[in-house]
Amino acid sequence: MIALRSELPLKGDTSSRFVVWLVMVLVFMASIALTTNAYIGALLFHWNQSVTGTLTIQIPVMLDAKDPASTATTERVLDVLNRHPAVERATAVPREKVTELLKPWFGAGEAVADLPLPVLVDVRLSTSEPSAINAVSNSVQSTAPGAVIDDHRAWLNRVIGLAEGLGAIAITAMALVTIALGLTIVFATRASLAEFAQVIDVLHVVGAKDGYIAGQFARRALVQSLIGGGAGLLLYAPTLGFIAWLASRIEPGILPDISFPASHWVVLAALPFLAGLIATITANVTVRRALSAKV
Amino acid sequence: MAQLRKKSDFVGDTVQLEDVGLRYADGPEIFSNVSLAIPQSSFYFLTGPSGAGKTSLLSLMYLAKRPTRGRLKLFGDDVTDAKRSRLPAIRRRLGVVFQDFRLLEHMTAFDNVALPLRIAKVSEATVEKNVTELLKWVGLEEFMQARPSVLSGGQQQRIAIARAVVHRPKLILADEPTGNVDDTIAFRLMQLFVELHKLGTSVIIATHNEHLVSRFAFPRLHLKAGTLTAMPPATGAES
Ligand SMILES: Nc1ncnc2c1ncn2[C@@H]1O[C@H](COP(=O)(O)OP(=O)(O)O)[C@@H](O)[C@H]1O
Ligand SMILES: [Mg+2]
Repeated sequence: MIALRSELPLKGDTSSRFVVWLVMVLVFMASIALTTNAYIGALLFHWNQSVTGTLTIQIPVMLDAKDPASTATTERVLDVLNRHPAVERATAVPREKVTELLKPWFGAGEAVADLPLPVLVDVRLSTSEPSAINAVSNSVQSTAPGAVIDDHRAWLNRVIGLAEGLGAIAITAMALVTIALGLTIVFATRASLAEFAQVIDVLHVVGAKDGYIAGQFARRALVQSLIGGGAGLLLYAPTLGFIAWLASRIEPGILPDISFPASHWVVLAALPFLAGLIATITANVTVRRALSAKV
Repeated sequence: MAQLRKKSDFVGDTVQLEDVGLRYADGPEIFSNVSLAIPQSSFYFLTGPSGAGKTSLLSLMYLAKRPTRGRLKLFGDDVTDAKRSRLPAIRRRLGVVFQDFRLLEHMTAFDNVALPLRIAKVSEATVEKNVTELLKWVGLEEFMQARPSVLSGGQQQRIAIARAVVHRPKLILADEPTGNVDDTIAFRLMQLFVELHKLGTSVIIATHNEHLVSRFAFPRLHLKAGTLTAMPPATGAES
């Protein structure tokens, strides 16, 4: 076990504990950033899935909902849609459901019952071709001029924009965490190089190679990162649980139930090792560069 | 037995210096135009008053410093501008006793002495055997597991010497190796160096102890006012 013998008293040196704590915080932050990113990605996928191939048509009716004219228009639109080859199914949203949706704003009383509401038609298309969407849109327009056709794209694009912004922030956070880890290791390693300058001189005189000395620092950085990284993940687990609990208290439907792919957990579990790899390489390079300036 | 030679004479010696000068930072040269050749299996004293540059001259030889001028060869190999990666192999053929010992405080006496062997990846069984034997020889077998800080100056010095010779170096550079011990122990330690010399090791001992020098019939290199002078062995001394 010669390779594991340490000639440098690195265990008790001042920078040791500092590195462990810092790697813990960094891995914790990285895991939160990764989870946020993965969650937003999954959410977006979910929304995209549920919105693709659907249209919502608003038939504006200023009169009372029981007005025969509006009922007739709705019937005609539904008829046209259901005979259209690009349409799988078209259904009018029941008035009760629309009033239900408006309850939070108008309350449950008579006010809503008397409101002149537009009729909403949910359309499921058999294709998501833009040309088909246009064709459906045109036939609806000619049947009910003034109908508003929404393919949810504009909304989805804004959500995608937000998600991409958040994703960029997560990636920036990861990059900053990596840089912080690298700098921490550089400074901690330089501090112990100074602290053990005498010991290192003796090791050189008895014929130690720079790589041998660098290896001892690198091994120490690896161990510290693994300990700190493991602690960071231990801290992450209850945090994730807490967030999940907070989310579970929100009305169902607003945030869909999302389960992360196995790869997400693999990446998270790999974080301490990734930190270890960065730390090992950084410590090694730092020591070799510092020593190469010697005689 | 001429120690100072002309440039043309440099062949097959353990240490060769050719017009070497050394200065620290912007200071004046500690010594200049030092030329010398240490043949294989020789024994030299390096003498001179305190501050003459004995330690500095030795540190060139154990590759802790590079000459600011001139050329330096070790074991026939020009190391003046040698790449750093070549130095460890050369250093492993040297044994160095520092004036201030430089024992590693976090290690036992045994581990300190074992250091050169372990760095050279010698098997642990050999390490155990050789280190134990040597520590017995220097009279410290009871203190093998002691930390250097609990030992006396003289005991630390013996550990420093043991560390310098444990790997059977080709050249031993000892800086005031008997500075902290009484004459009896000093003489015993000198016997160790003499024995290694008889086995073929070159030895250079820096000292300002005239009494010690006069007891041994070895030639000396005298460093004074930046100049190195060769002096013949003391007459009437044992060899
Ligand atoms: N690291 C150093 N930096 C600057 N000057 C030094 C250094 N080491 C030694 N000197 C100077 O070099 C001269 C020779 O010192 P040294 O080699 O230790 O002599 P000696 O071993 O013969 O007592 C002294 O004047 C000393 O002050
Ligand atoms: Mg000195």
